[in-house]
Amino acid sequence: MRRPLLLALALLVSPALTVAHEAQDGKRLPVIGPAPSFALTSQDGAPVTLAALRGKIVAVSFIYTQCPDICPLLIQKMVQVQGELGADFGAKIAFVSITLDPEHDTPEVLKDYAQFWGTKPEGWTFLTGSPEAVRDVTRRYAVFVAKNANGSVDHTQLTSIIDAESAMRVQYLGARFDPEEFRRDLLSLLHRP
Amino acid sequence: MPMMQTRRRILAGVSLASAAGLLRAPVSLAAEGSLETTTIRIAKVPAICVAPKYVAEELLRAEGFTDIHYVEFAAGQDTTEPLARGELDFDTNYAVNFVAAIDAGRPITLLAGVMVGCYELFAKEGIRGISDLKGKSVGMQAVNSLPHTLLTVMAAQVGLDPLKDIHWITDPKVMPIERFVAGEIDAFLAFPPEPQDLRARGIGHVLVNTALDRPWSQYFCCMHGGNREFVQKYPVATKRVLRAVLKAADMCASEPERAARRMVDGGFSPRYDYALQTLRDNAYDRWREYDPEDAIRFYALRLREAGFIKASPQKIIADSTDWRFLDELKRELKA
Repeated sequence: MRRPLLLALALLVSPALTVAHEAQDGKRLPVIGPAPSFALTSQDGAPVTLAALRGKIVAVSFIYTQCPDICPLLIQKMVQVQGELGADFGAKIAFVSITLDPEHDTPEVLKDYAQFWGTKPEGWTFLTGSPEAVRDVTRRYAVFVAKNANGSVDHTQLTSIIDAESAMRVQYLGARFDPEEFRRDLLSLLHRP
Repeated sequence: MPMMQTRRRILAGVSLASAAGLLRAPVSLAAEGSLETTTIRIAKVPAICVAPKYVAEELLRAEGFTDIHYVEFAAGQDTTEPLARGELDFDTNYAVNFVAAIDAGRPITLLAGVMVGCYELFAKEGIRGISDLKGKSVGMQAVNSLPHTLLTVMAAQVGLDPLKDIHWITDPKVMPIERFVAGEIDAFLAFPPEPQDLRARGIGHVLVNTALDRPWSQYFCCMHGGNREFVQKYPVATKRVLRAVLKAADMCASEPERAARRMVDGGFSPRYDYALQTLRDNAYDRWREYDPEDAIRFYALRLREAGFIKASPQKIIADSTDWRFLDELKRELKA
C-alpha cells in the first residue's frame, strides 16, 4: 500500500517534472550570469553602485532624456509597474535608468526628467557619469549606442532584471513587452529567488 | 530488509534532489563567461531579407566581438560550403540550402529559426496559380539552385511533374528578373529586393507570397547556423552571436525604419525604401513562437519527396541541430 504512495510522492516532486512545469509557466527565471557592475552618479549627485543595491531586485534600463519615441514608451510602462508594486517598490525593488547621453543628461536634467514622469525617488534612480564611464557600462551590458549628427542616439532598448545576489536573470528588449509579465518577473524573484 | 533499506534510500535521494530542484533556478549553459574569440566571419550576400545578420553588426560589437568580417558572395553563390570548411563561422541562410548541405555531409550546426517569408513567386498576367505553370517557362540561374529546388517543391505540392510540366530556362549569366521584365519568361522566384523592384515598376503579379501563404508562412524560411567545430569549441561566442542576431530580428520587427537605415549605412542595401519594404513585408518576430525543428522537418520531407536529398528529417535534426542556445535565449530575452 505504501509503495505506490511513496512513488507517487517522489514523482510529484521530481526535478524533471519541476523543470518542465517551470519552463512552461516561466515562474523560475534562469540565471544568466553575474550582472555587470556600475558606479555612476544619481540625479541627486550621489554616487550609486550596483553593489550598494545588493539585497534588492533591480531593473536596469538605458534611456536618454531627449529620446523622442521609444524611451518615453518604456518609462511610461515602468511608471505603471512602479504604481503596482506598492510598498515593495523602493524597499525591495529598485529601478535604475542609465542615460545614454551623459554630455546632455546632467544630474539636474535627470532630476527634472524624473519629476516630469512622476517617478518615485525612493525606488527609482536616474544615473549619469563621464562619457567613458557610461560607455563602459553600456559595453558590458551589450547595449549598442551610436550618437547621430542631429543629437539623437541610436540604441538598443534593453532592460535587465537583476536579483538580490546581483545575478542577471532576464532581459527585456524594446518597449512593447507586457508590463504585467515584467511585474510578475520582479515579484517572482522576491518570492522564489 | 536490505531491499527495503535501498528503496528508502533511493526515495530519500529522489526527494532531496527534488527539493534542490525546487530551490534552484536553471543556470545558463554558456553563462556570461569570457569570449573564446573576438573574431567572427559571416556571409554577405545580395539578399536583403536575411537582414538580421546585417543589422546585428553593431550588436555583435556590443557583445564583445572586435573583428567582424562580412565575407562577400555573389547572388546565388553557395555559402554552405565555405561555412562547412570553416571559412565562415556563421550564416543566416535559407532552410532549404542548409538541409541540402547537411544531407551532403557538410558539418554545419543549425541553431535557430530567424524569420518567415523572403521569397515570392512572380508570374505574368493570366497565370492565376502554380498549376497554371504547366507548359510555361520559368527562369532560374542554375539547376539545383535555391529557386529551382523551391519551385520544384512548390510545383510538386500542387500535383505537377516539375521535370516534364515546366519549361525551365537556365542561364547563369542573366538574372531571371531581367528575362521576366523583358517578357522572355513567364514566371520566376523573386528574392528581396526583386519583389519590391517589380512592385514599384508594376510588373507581373504574385502567385505565392511565402510570408503570407500557407504552408510556407507556417515555417521559418531562414535559419541561423554555424560551423560545427566553431559551435562546439566556442559556446560563449556562439551564444553571443545568436543573441545579437535574434536581438537584431526583434529590431527588424519592432523598428524597421531604424533597421533599414542601419542596412544602408552599413553598405548592405543601396536603397532605404527597398530595405524598409522588405522588413515590413516579412515576419521577423517569430523566433520565439515557431519551432525550428518543424521547418527542418517540413523542408527535409519535401526535398526528400522531390528527390533532392536522401537523409530523413530525423537524421538531419539529430546530427545537425543544437537548440540549447535558442532555448536559453527564449527564457533570457523577452520582448
